Amino acid sequence: MKRFQLVVGLVLVGLVVASAIVSLFWTPFDPIQVDGANRLRPPGWPHLLGTDGFGIDIVSQLLVGARATLLVGIVSVGVSAVVGVPLGMVAGQLGGWLDEVVMRAADIVYAFPALILAMLFASVWGASTVTAMAAIGISTIPAFARVSRAGALQVVASDFVLAARVSGTSRLGIAVRHVGPNIAPVVGVQASVVFALAILAEAALSYLGLGTPRSVPTWGNMLRQAQDQLFTAPLQSVWPGLAIALAVLGFNLLGDGLRDYLDPRLREVQ
Amino acid sequence: MTQPAPSTRPLSRLSRRLVAVLSALAMLMMVGCTTAGTPSEPPGHTLTIGATSEPDSMDAWHNAAAAIPQVVLYNVYETLVKVDADGKLKALLAQAWELSPDGLTYTFHLNPAAKFASGAPVDAAAVVANIERLKSDSNLVASLQAQASVMDSATAVDTHVVQIKLVHPSIMWLYNMSSTLGMMLDPSFTGDVATTTAGSGPYALKSQSKGQSVVLAPNTNYWGTPARFSEVTFRYYTDANAMNASMLSGDLDVISNLQAPDALSQFSDTSRFTTISGTTNGEVVLGLNHKTKALAKLEVRRALTMAIDRQQLLNTVWNGQGTLIGSMSVPTDPWYEDLTGTNPYNPDQARALLKEAGYAQGLTLRLRVPTFPYAQKSAQFVASALRDVGVTVKVEELDFTRWLKEVYGDGDYDMTIVAHVEARDLGNFALPNYYWHYGDPKFAALYNAADQAKTEAESITLMKEALRYLADDAAAIWLFALPNLVIAKSTITGLPKNATTLSFDLSTIAGG
Repeated sequence: MKRFQLVVGLVLVGLVVASAIVSLFWTPFDPIQVDGANRLRPPGWPHLLGTDGFGIDIVSQLLVGARATLLVGIVSVGVSAVVGVPLGMVAGQLGGWLDEVVMRAADIVYAFPALILAMLFASVWGASTVTAMAAIGISTIPAFARVSRAGALQVVASDFVLAARVSGTSRLGIAVRHVGPNIAPVVGVQASVVFALAILAEAALSYLGLGTPRSVPTWGNMLRQAQDQLFTAPLQSVWPGLAIALAVLGFNLLGDGLRDYLDPRLREVQ
Repeated sequence: MTQPAPSTRPLSRLSRRLVAVLSALAMLMMVGCTTAGTPSEPPGHTLTIGATSEPDSMDAWHNAAAAIPQVVLYNVYETLVKVDADGKLKALLAQAWELSPDGLTYTFHLNPAAKFASGAPVDAAAVVANIERLKSDSNLVASLQAQASVMDSATAVDTHVVQIKLVHPSIMWLYNMSSTLGMMLDPSFTGDVATTTAGSGPYALKSQSKGQSVVLAPNTNYWGTPARFSEVTFRYYTDANAMNASMLSGDLDVISNLQAPDALSQFSDTSRFTTISGTTNGEVVLGLNHKTKALAKLEVRRALTMAIDRQQLLNTVWNGQGTLIGSMSVPTDPWYEDLTGTNPYNPDQARALLKEAGYAQGLTLRLRVPTFPYAQKSAQFVASALRDVGVTVKVEELDFTRWLKEVYGDGDYDMTIVAHVEARDLGNFALPNYYWHYGDPKFAALYNAADQAKTEAESITLMKEALRYLADDAAAIWLFALPNLVIAKSTITGLPKNATTLSFDLSTIAGG
């Protein structure tokens, strides 16, 4: 059962990655070329899932949309992990007032949803993929900081760290040699979960016009475009919705599967 | 087991008392309701109108947003003359008017009954005060300032007769006076016109809740036919589907202009809805900033025009509803002629022209559009069409307030798309400071000659020539003219077919 989660997660994530890679070389039709003569075609041949209100092939847009999804996911998760993990480790290892400052700051950031941050950025610099990535990245920093702080606290209290400290290893050395490797699995799982959140946030932001501009196909933009014909061509909004749901499900299952697979305690219980 | 009994008794006594008090209260309230609910006169109808562009304030003199006159023109502020649904001038505050033979002096005979909501009369002195206010206000919207500069002076000949002298003869001026320029503000009013109104119309502003609605209430002091509705609400929607859903669920009485023509089929039930499809003055203009180096070149402007298949754009963006126009004029204008054949769709020639202009390597332009459905969708079509001829278009969507400031105000853009909904507004191309920065002297000369012509026939001939010049020079790209798609409950009557003015004129509407 646990394996099953991991496998399904891997397959779904693999599908998204494969779509993005394929779209770099080939799409059935041009994903941005407007074709007024072919608008709102129902699913069939040659447009397998039909066309949207601009006559653009939906399959092609879904493939290209996977790129934005992955790009935003990777960059924002990368940014937040790179900032959040060291912050959490420092807070956990050093404790005291520094810990307080970092964690209360994390609480404050937590209080701002990515959406509010994205609106702020969009009004200052204009909506773009970069502002969406920054907003999602910044707002997910606390998730990484908290997880790695908790992990660091646990590791620092263990006997082998005590032994290392007695033998004169520096704090940095302990962080690199002991804390880092020990919290890596938890951080990995967290990354997978945050990735799923980032996909949803990206879709929401472009749907609201606060992310990637309309002319670039993303799943959120496809939803926004489909909304105009929600009552006249309802199928159109199903496809990007399904893509988002499957991608989010994939990353969540992958996270759960990874956690079970990597956590030695859970393995022993079984 | 006996212990709980004594404690429940006082409780139940209390609750019995409570019930008695409550029922007495309820009866009192019911009595109150019935007495309040039987007024001698029947309650007036209310009207709720759905619209998509929200006014920032009620100050049409310092804010160019057409959403303001949509609410206030004729309904709150009246003009000396008004344009009716057929595009003809007719009496409003002025009963009659005449023009001197030299075409320079207009004499208006005001309706002696006319008075402002405050009770003050709309007399010659009030008109003079208004014109002096317009002439001395240096912060007026650019187009109004230009219109006001045509006036030389205004004099009160008699209590109800006013003479207005023009700097030069102008066919356009009287039309302008029937719109925002001519809105008469109560001279005794000292408040803020952005948040309160002081006009002579049948309605006055009751309240405005930003992001939601503007509510008008009848002006009890109105001098003409009293208002038919006890309350009129303009409710604003940013999402066309939400507006349609409100209409379908019966929350709205009228959709002032359907913003999702694909949804027209949702209102096909004629027992519930009336659909009106007419024309508007709204030219959807792909504005070109003539200060942008590339766009100052005629070849580039022509190339961009030829790169866009406008019929296909109309089909894609507005479900084929609307009219193709080739210049700054709509079919209801007296000088309209079909100029859609000028610079016709021809991507090959567009590429050749771009090469000729020195942009064989490509060209990047910023297309900054307000977040209106027609603008956003057109922008996507235009970006795709121009990509075909090697022009990279960076689309940016701005909310309208920001658009007004950055694009309209500061001219920070290369291309933009917005509907110009004023009637007979080709004169804007003659203004060098207008946001297009066009101001071609040849066009200005043609336009001024047409405006200052002695006879209407001569004026029309010259206007046609000016319009042809604009189209040839590709001063802008005219995508299409918006249709007037009005959806109303079948019980609403008197809605005009064509939208000939900026106003959503409530005077002929009845029912509810």
